[in-house]
Amino acid sequence: MPFLKFTSITKRFPGVLALDGVSFSVERGTCHALIGENGAGKSTLGKILAGVYSADSGQLFLDGQPIAPSSPLAARELGIAMVHQELAFCPNLSVAENLCLGDLPRRAGGFVDRPALRARARAMLATVGADIDPDTIIGTLSTGREQLVQIAAAVGTGARIIVMDEPTSSLSAAETADLFRLIRELKARGLTLIYVSHRMEELFALCDNITVLRDGHHIATEPIPSTTPARVVTQMIGRELRAQTPAHLTRDLGPIRLAAENLASPGAFTDINLVVHAGEIVGLAGIVGAGRSAVVQALFGLDPAVTGQVRVNDRPLALGSIDSALAAGLGLVPEDRKRQGLVLGLNCRENTALAALPLLTRLGLVRRTAERALAERYAKRLRLKTPSIEAITAGLSGGNQQKIALAKWLARDCDVLLVDEPTRGVDVGAKAEIYQLLDELACEGKALLVVSSELPELIGLCRRILVMREGTLVGELPPASFSGAALMQLMAGLPAA
Amino acid sequence: MLARLRALFRFQESGLLLVILALGVLLTAFAGTVRTPVFERAADGSRTRVFTANAEGERVPLLAEKNKFLNAQNLAQLAKDTSFIAVMAVGMAVVIIAGGIDLTVGSIYALASVVGALVLHRYGPEGLIPSVSPALGIVLGAGACLGVAALCGLATGGLIVALRVHPFIITLGGMAIYRGIAFVITKGQSVGAFPAAFRDFVRFEVGDGLSFVPLATMIVVLIVGWIFLSRLAAGRRVYAIGGNELAARFSGIRVERVKLGVYLISGLCAGIAALLSLGYYGAATSGDGQGYELNVIAAAVVGGASLTGGRGSALGVVLGALIIQMISSGIVILGIDQNYSQIIIGSVVIAAVVLDNLNTWLAKRRLTAAAH
Ligand SMILES: Nc1ncnc2c1ncn2[C@@H]1O[C@H](COP(=O)(O)OP(=O)(O)OP(=O)(O)O)[C@@H](O)[C@H]1O
Ligand SMILES: [Mg+2]
Repeated sequence: MPFLKFTSITKRFPGVLALDGVSFSVERGTCHALIGENGAGKSTLGKILAGVYSADSGQLFLDGQPIAPSSPLAARELGIAMVHQELAFCPNLSVAENLCLGDLPRRAGGFVDRPALRARARAMLATVGADIDPDTIIGTLSTGREQLVQIAAAVGTGARIIVMDEPTSSLSAAETADLFRLIRELKARGLTLIYVSHRMEELFALCDNITVLRDGHHIATEPIPSTTPARVVTQMIGRELRAQTPAHLTRDLGPIRLAAENLASPGAFTDINLVVHAGEIVGLAGIVGAGRSAVVQALFGLDPAVTGQVRVNDRPLALGSIDSALAAGLGLVPEDRKRQGLVLGLNCRENTALAALPLLTRLGLVRRTAERALAERYAKRLRLKTPSIEAITAGLSGGNQQKIALAKWLARDCDVLLVDEPTRGVDVGAKAEIYQLLDELACEGKALLVVSSELPELIGLCRRILVMREGTLVGELPPASFSGAALMQLMAGLPAA
Repeated sequence: MLARLRALFRFQESGLLLVILALGVLLTAFAGTVRTPVFERAADGSRTRVFTANAEGERVPLLAEKNKFLNAQNLAQLAKDTSFIAVMAVGMAVVIIAGGIDLTVGSIYALASVVGALVLHRYGPEGLIPSVSPALGIVLGAGACLGVAALCGLATGGLIVALRVHPFIITLGGMAIYRGIAFVITKGQSVGAFPAAFRDFVRFEVGDGLSFVPLATMIVVLIVGWIFLSRLAAGRRVYAIGGNELAARFSGIRVERVKLGVYLISGLCAGIAALLSLGYYGAATSGDGQGYELNVIAAAVVGGASLTGGRGSALGVVLGALIIQMISSGIVILGIDQNYSQIIIGSVVIAAVVLDNLNTWLAKRRLTAAAH
């Protein structure tokens, strides 16, 4: 008898059928991969199991018993927990308070029993071997540490099944390695994991079985050893994916478009010197916290404390002003699509047009047909999955939101585009599409500076890769010496082997 | 035909229209009737009573039986009262959509009124400057009224942007300050005696006692507000800032400038309402418009503007103002004790927001059912 069984799970949202009769089962003590294109229904399936949504029809069985978790709390009582990609905690409260928020230990009179609170939190953190002070404010933790607290919350309350939705998409390499170690240990303890990710190599390294969803349909469930990444990709996107070498690599470089000299910002980075030519894609590698995002944000005028000289198209740029950055032809696709990239309450069309509004305006009036055409064009190009471009972006799947956050700056037609994690949470098919778009931009003579934590992405896309560590540039690799190992060494500050 | 009807009811403000319709029907049904004298309009536009002879041959005024709610005079009155609130509510909607709040509108209304009144008084029959040109006086008075209101709005916005303090705090302070200034410059006295032409213009009536100017002003403000919010790039920026200020900043939107603009708009709208009141009532005191901010915010919220920002429309808030005004006047018509009016209006605001949430939920369900 399978441990956990989904039978004919169906779920509708306004304008979309997110899941259509999905059936498969998960074995006890395994790590079960869930993969599919953006909007295929992975998160929805996880959320149904974790009691966030309820299925319109279909049935869940746990140990042969039908279950219907009606709320996250009910799911928790059944031993099911979800580690969300987005914030799941109150950032202003301490780790201990967050861990016990549902059931704060109290003394007579309603006073919080602080020592008991701390002790309980410490016990929960110990179940995952996390060495975190329970009094730390959640908001000050790194994403990886915060995720660890989320896992502690799940394991510490006796979860038997943990759903992890793209847990590694904002982790550093070291944090990812730690997470994998923890997952293996949890598995050894008999816990069952459902693991959602777009990173094929992770799934093949970590998981025992894999389920592929496409457009809300179940396509296949197979043991990992009997399938291959290529086969999974074909199942996912319904066609084969051919890797292409970017065309811009073989073209001649144009003049220097972006040049930064002695760029520094107190507490963030120092002594940054870089140039990007027309027609060039330069990568910026480094571990999370190395200061890559701080550099691109400073170039875009978001850091009032930055010093140094920046020239764009050979004209000096006034630092610390978004206005002058925009006027000079700079654009920035920010790393955090929910906070910095999108206005979630506006629809896809309005978000796509937001940065390009000045180009779409005549006499203060938004040209509606031009705006719609623009949004339609990028929606098609990036294979956006949405009921219509008039749908509110809050209802889109994570990867589809990322596509809009990117489209918005592609639409602005900048000379120099700074791109921070362009494909975070994007499926393989759309990733290829995004790489091709960036390649086209370079071929048109734009200059691109791409920050990414996915080394294969930088290796496949860039002409040069700059490496940052602890706020300074520590090296530059020409294509001849591109390799994961070389990059990792520079990023971590190890001596060359 | 049916499809078109359905399309009509699918648009966002249809719920508000339904509420208005229901209110109208209820008020008409329960209002009862009154006997009012019949007027007739002479060739020169003046209105005189119509008399008739009774059985004994005495001259008695002709009386007609009318529904207390559904009669031309009452509707004209309702239209006028709504105009004042609605004009301010459109400005408030812009602020609320941008994620702010403006408690100063009632006080700006009072301050703009008394400043305008002081200027108009100088050019009026009792003024120091003999009324050689009433037109000049009216233009100067109107300019002073609108100018002061715009300045106040700008000052509020400037403080909010410069001090980075929550708009609730700044406008709470501004509310007291502006009214205080109005009191100081008038020493609490009422200011009146304006050029007669001004009053005649604003009170110009069409049909059975319908003041044309306030109604027309409201419609113009509504149209301008609608174009601003739904068609102009500037309006789109207002929604963006209310929806996610950080993302708006990352999109290259000059957040500070837009914020300044929305409070300017709100102040200006309060000024326009003040100008209408000057013409209509012919006098102003520093106590005018007390508590208007709450009615205006209520109108905006009932009309679907979301206090968390990013959502709302000009037409919605004008309909919201109409609903609030219908209820206030309904309380009078139905002869309900005035003391209950606050309770009723408060309940309506809460009920309207609940209904709006319900409506959004229903629309979502309809869409969900439509998917495959
Ligand atoms: N709360 C919601 N409201 C409306 N539509 C939703 C909602 N949540 C999900 N959807 C829709 O359901 C479909 C499946 O979304 P889901 O988030 O499960 O995709 P996913 O497979 O997790 O994609 P991704 O890889 O991009 O995270 C999408 O088309 C999405 O637009
Ligand atoms: Mg997802």
